[in-house]
Amino acid sequence: MTTYVYGIASSSHPSLPDGMEGIGKPACAVRILKQGELAAIVSDAPEDLKPKRRDLLAHQNVLSEAGAAGSVLPMRFGSLAPDDETVVSVLGERADHYTERLRTLDGKVEYNVKASHNEQAVLHQVLAENPELRAMVEANQRQGGGSHEQKLQLGEAVTSAVRAREASDAVEVRRALEPTAESVAEGPEGTGWLANISFLVSRKSAEGFVAAVEELRTTQPHLELKVHGPLPPYSFVDPGPAEPAA
Amino acid sequence: MTVVPAQQSGGGGGTSGLYDVVELILDRGLVIDAFIRVSLVGIEILKVDVRVVVASVDTYLRFAEACNRLDLETGQKKDPGVPDLLGEITESGAKGKSKGALSGAAETISDAFKQSREEGERQSEERPRARRSTTSRRKEEKE
Repeated sequence: MTTYVYGIASSSHPSLPDGMEGIGKPACAVRILKQGELAAIVSDAPEDLKPKRRDLLAHQNVLSEAGAAGSVLPMRFGSLAPDDETVVSVLGERADHYTERLRTLDGKVEYNVKASHNEQAVLHQVLAENPELRAMVEANQRQGGGSHEQKLQLGEAVTSAVRAREASDAVEVRRALEPTAESVAEGPEGTGWLANISFLVSRKSAEGFVAAVEELRTTQPHLELKVHGPLPPYSFVDPGPAEPAA
Repeated sequence: MTVVPAQQSGGGGGTSGLYDVVELILDRGLVIDAFIRVSLVGIEILKVDVRVVVASVDTYLRFAEACNRLDLETGQKKDPGVPDLLGEITESGAKGKSKGALSGAAETISDAFKQSREEGERQSEERPRARRSTTSRRKEEKE
């Protein structure tokens, strides 16, 4: 019987989601495997497990439930052990490492911020900052939009200005929010946002982080910010991708 | 757990919240080499929105058209973009409320704040409403 692993917590975690509905249809019940100071949050795994929406949601729900009450190391989706004994032996072998990570991440949650441009607003902004571009737009507007050539020329210049804003705004988002976070990790690339950044935030200072986001919204109205959190610290379980906040 | 004020304005989690953090669930998180991982080959949920501006003729023409439609006078006098954004806050605020909470446990801000109209349209094409509501209904029933 394959064992699906959701995450690792301390065995003294006050409220492990024992019996909660996990992945699979019908849902497999969540179980807790303990070994010394550590506990693994697991369930049976359905055969032919695939990353279906329902299962991703179940993975996330189990971890949110556990994470609301105490520190949890979230596993990446889809981690399967051949059996419970393998999970228990992994907990035993690497107890020091996981205990250290749990201690480091105790009381901290991840907030993921994705930023994109409001197109109208950013166009107004680049035109306001660039008289040459504005002159081109005005010339085209006078000619009922301009010729194909003129449109291409204008479009290329505007695109280049907007891309420059994307780069500088990505830096700005990080700069604005970094001081309220303990650690920062760039999100996976290729998702199409001008910035996709995860911040490790102490629960105690979560209000400060949220206030910094609101401030950024106010001062940079051309930015559209999507904030997700508090999340289990997916981006901070391994020291690898994270780096200390400045 | 500290209750963060902005959670109230952000609306519930829901599957759109999942959609926005799915790359974290699939691409971040602890990996243990003694375990195997299910194959992620060919999953549709990984499909990404490409919203970052790409230099192409299509983009050039789209931007040129957008600039031609801009009212430069009002654009300079008013704070750029603010009127548009206010409209969108109201709009997406209502959207957020109707979404409903994922569950009491998942304290997730799904912040659809300031989502552009165009983006909203594109997303609803990609994620048919029926599928979203099925998932949330399923969640509520806790089958």
